[in-house]
Amino acid sequence: MSQMCEQGRPARPGGYALGGAAAGIALLLGGCITVKAPDKPIEINLNVKVQQEVVVRLQKDAQDLIQNNPELFPQ
Amino acid sequence: MTRKSSFLLAALGLAVVGLTGALLSSGPAMAQSGVVASAMAAGTVGEQADGYLGINGSVSAEVRAEVESINIKRRAAYTDLAAKRGVTVADVAAATGCQTLASRVKPGQVYRIGTGGWQTKGSAPIPLPGYCATAN
Repeated sequence: MSQMCEQGRPARPGGYALGGAAAGIALLLGGCITVKAPDKPIEINLNVKVQQEVVVRLQKDAQDLIQNNPELFPQ
Repeated sequence: MTRKSSFLLAALGLAVVGLTGALLSSGPAMAQSGVVASAMAAGTVGEQADGYLGINGSVSAEVRAEVESINIKRRAAYTDLAAKRGVTVADVAAATGCQTLASRVKPGQVYRIGTGGWQTKGSAPIPLPGYCATAN
C-alpha cells in the first residue's frame, strides 16, 4: 500500500521541480487519506483499557479507604 | 480487694461507659450521618458508580447539605490517594464506586451507574460497569 502513496515521479530540475513535488504531495495526500479513518476508534479503545487497568489496580486501596473512613460511607 | 470495692469499681466503669456512649450518640456527627443512612434506606440517597453519593428525587435541606458535605470529604480523600498512586482523582473515585456498588449497597437501596436512572438493588449482585472487571 505504501508504494502506491509514493509513486510520484522523481522531480525534474528547473521549473518542473515544483510541479513534480506538488504532484507528489497531492498523490501522497490522495493515496493515503484512507489511513486516517481507523485512528479514532483505536484511540478510544486504548483509553478504556488503560483506565480499566488503573481501576483494577486501585481496588485494594479503595477497600482500605472505605474501611478507614466509615463516616464518609454510611449504609 | 474486697467484694464491695470491686462492685463499686464495676459500677463506676459502667457509669463511665454509659456516659461516653450517651455523649457520642448525641453528637452532631452521629446525628448527621444517621440522616443520610435513613435517606439511603428510604431510597432518596444512593451510591453512584462515580464514587459519590447522589440524590434521587427531593430530600430535606438537611439531607442535601450532609450529602454534599460527605461528597466534599470523599473528594479530598480520593485526591490524597490519587496523588500517592500517581493516578487521576476520577480513577480513584471510579475504583471506590466499584467497591460501594459491589459490596456496600444493600438490597432495597438505590444506586446509579453513569447517566442511567436510579435503580433499586434486588437480591442479585449489581451488574458492575466493565472497567470494574475483577473488583471484589
